[in-house]
Amino acid sequence: MTTRADIENLIARVAQGDRAAFKALYGATSAKLFGVTLRVLNDRAEAEEVLQEIYVKVWHNADRYTVNGLSPMTWLITIARNSAVDRLRKLRRAETPAELEERIADDAAGPEALAVAASERGRLVACFEELAAKHAEAVRRAYLEGETYADLAARFDVPLNTMRTWLRRSLLSLRECLTR
Amino acid sequence: MSDQDQPDRDDRVLAGEYTLGLLSAEEAAAFEARMVREPELRALYAQWAEDFAGLTDDITPQAPPARVWQQIEAGLFDTRARGSWLRRLTLWGGGLAAAAVLVLAVGLPDLVERGPVPPVDPPYVAQIAAEDGSLVVQAVYDDATGTLFVDREAGGAAPGRALELWLIAGEDAPVSLGVMPQDAQAILRVADDLRGRVAGAVLAISDEPEGGSPTGAPTGDVLAVGPVQES
Repeated sequence: MTTRADIENLIARVAQGDRAAFKALYGATSAKLFGVTLRVLNDRAEAEEVLQEIYVKVWHNADRYTVNGLSPMTWLITIARNSAVDRLRKLRRAETPAELEERIADDAAGPEALAVAASERGRLVACFEELAAKHAEAVRRAYLEGETYADLAARFDVPLNTMRTWLRRSLLSLRECLTR
Repeated sequence: MSDQDQPDRDDRVLAGEYTLGLLSAEEAAAFEARMVREPELRALYAQWAEDFAGLTDDITPQAPPARVWQQIEAGLFDTRARGSWLRRLTLWGGGLAAAAVLVLAVGLPDLVERGPVPPVDPPYVAQIAAEDGSLVVQAVYDDATGTLFVDREAGGAAPGRALELWLIAGEDAPVSLGVMPQDAQAILRVADDLRGRVAGAVLAISDEPEGGSPTGAPTGDVLAVGPVQES
């Protein structure tokens, strides 16, 4: 089991240009990050490409890790999530309106979309459960599917401003719950 | 003002929207510029990043195929790839490139060329502008050559002060791209290790002492910001 301190130590060595540490970091974290990119992109070929980009970024930016205040896995997961969402949005920009309609209709929320980390993240889950189900789903979709305000408004069939209000109120409730 | 009445005015909410990628490019750029100067805002962002990362806890890890690592290694370390990197360097002046990398590494102003001409058909553009239009700089960037052409359309440095240009890529601390030259139009060379990081990043201009920031990080007000976008 690789601990937080192990990962931090590896990142620090990567920042010094240590290739062996880079390989060890990849070995310890790539399965998690590949899981994240696959979850966001739902396409193996795209996820593989994005995973390469992620580790190239990690190699180049490891020296800046300490200044951002994130835990090491959060830093890596955030790079992975953001890179995958960037790719997804680029792919979506190429969609025709008909394809967009079809996508939104196709992946209507199943029960699995609602069951987030049922066991572990007690606090996070509890706080999501305090939100109206639709609002919680909108926040999750924004993070895990990279959906924009426009995507979410279309999916939930509400005006854009209504969606903004939902989301912002949900974020405020979440933050207040999470810091209680 | 009650938070409940105006949730959109709350920095906690703004930081959440930023973390989710819900802000427009301009809003995100403005937020990132504020984060440079406001530790509290960085802390709010870090908190959201930690919390949302928890949404990935139930994602099953999947070992990627071996070719992914091979390609990462080849892309970063392969000697043939480095050969082509050197050739590219030579194309735009090996000495200049090496010098630019060195000065950037120690946070000093970048090298600036005279008589600049903007790249033809550049892949990336940015408008680095103050909200009130008091400083407007158009930038075009060619990632293949690391050429950043800047055209200061409005505003300038205060007497005895300098304008310094910063690259803010993702969650990273700002990296200096050099002090803006006196001339309104100029070309700045982006060091090779930064080249690939300009796309999708944010450019910001801060008010600094003559010669640029003494610390390697912005010390004065952030005067203008703008996202780098595909042209």
